[in-house]
Amino acid sequence: MDFFTIYLPIAGIEFNVLLLLLIGATVGVCGGFFGIGGAWIVTPALNIFGFPMPYAIGTDLAHMGGKSIVSTIRHGKFGNVDVRLAVSMILGTTVGMELGARLVMYLERIGLAESVIRKIYILFLLLIGSYVLFDYISHVRYQRTMSASGRDAKPKRHTLAQRLQRVNIPPMINFKASGIQCSLWLPVLVGFTTGVVASVLGVGGGFIRMPALIYLIGCPTLVAVGTDLFEVMITGAYGAFTYGVKGRVDLLAAIWMLFGAAIGAQLGTIAVKYVRGYSIRLLFAVTIFIACASVLLKQLKLQLPSAILIITAGIVISSVIILLLVRGVLRERAARSGSGVSLGRGSSG
Amino acid sequence: MRQRSIRKLRKLSIVGECAGFLSALLLFLPAIAHAAGGKPATKVYNVADTRAMSSGISKLIADLYNGNSVIFGLVVVGVMAGLGLILGYAMDLLIKRVGIDLSRLEHHE
Repeated sequence: MDFFTIYLPIAGIEFNVLLLLLIGATVGVCGGFFGIGGAWIVTPALNIFGFPMPYAIGTDLAHMGGKSIVSTIRHGKFGNVDVRLAVSMILGTTVGMELGARLVMYLERIGLAESVIRKIYILFLLLIGSYVLFDYISHVRYQRTMSASGRDAKPKRHTLAQRLQRVNIPPMINFKASGIQCSLWLPVLVGFTTGVVASVLGVGGGFIRMPALIYLIGCPTLVAVGTDLFEVMITGAYGAFTYGVKGRVDLLAAIWMLFGAAIGAQLGTIAVKYVRGYSIRLLFAVTIFIACASVLLKQLKLQLPSAILIITAGIVISSVIILLLVRGVLRERAARSGSGVSLGRGSSG
Repeated sequence: MRQRSIRKLRKLSIVGECAGFLSALLLFLPAIAHAAGGKPATKVYNVADTRAMSSGISKLIADLYNGNSVIFGLVVVGVMAGLGLILGYAMDLLIKRVGIDLSRLEHHE
């Protein structure tokens, strides 16, 4: 294995290339599939294998920028990126993140930052995970009831997003890719709120923004994934620059991780093609609960079990996503060859 | 006349006091600062050790890192964005060759 060990001059440590590729690929699959940055996997994974924490965060942010470009290109080609919506949200997110940072500094001054932030984070993840899971279960029940009564499963009316879309404060904007029309202030306000929360909790925001896009703005799941990745790309690029200037990015490690992440991101993004929106939501809820458990373990000073849980979960979740992709491709091929056979019969007959 | 000379003397004594205070400050300030102690200064910017490197990409990155922090930050963003674009398009071509249909996406909630 020494053959694969390289010296990382900036972090000042020796590291296995295969491990970097594996971490990159794992987070790439999850990121492309859920539309998240994946800092919750990469940072503890790098840290546990010897990266000092500031370098782990900086290197993660740097590779996140590159990886999100790969996923955003693919999602863009699928028509899943609503650029107009993303830009509107970024306006609010930027202001929100600045306000959040000031709030954190205030909490630090009164000596509450560490404990309060972690507890709020646990509570937040629990709430989001529970809501997404509840939504999935109620959707499945609704579908079953409808199919049992023999009626078509029409979408439920008067969701929170639909009510918010009806608030008529000019300018009203038509977001084509999302298929919604609402006030410009709705995405700006949602971006602002998620920005404050993400900044206070010290996370990239994918965990919060993706459900917010679905449940508050009313985006279809795939557009939420693609649009969120567009935002992750911007925040990743900014994070790469600011951490780079501070000298906390190991560029060599980031490049190796990006190679793994590019493959993973492409696979994760294509997998959404073969999975229903609600299945993505279910897997997302499971992922949130795992992230929540790992933060809880950290709170109990169990750093090692927390990191092991995260790495194992990341590998298992990305394996499930790849299995879904393989199953989808095989089915598609079978359907294509089936239609080809029937066409052939038709023409011969 | 007498009042004038008294004023002059007062002015001189004030100037003398100030000069004395400043010279005492200059003399004792380093000692006071040293005695204040406190935590040792933390490193603001690390330096990559390039002594064992002769050439190659690691040396190039380390030299860049040791050079200018802003240029290094810009290079990080540029490399990541450029590599992301190249890898994205390369993976697209590769996936198409495998035979996966990337042309359309039917949305199902």
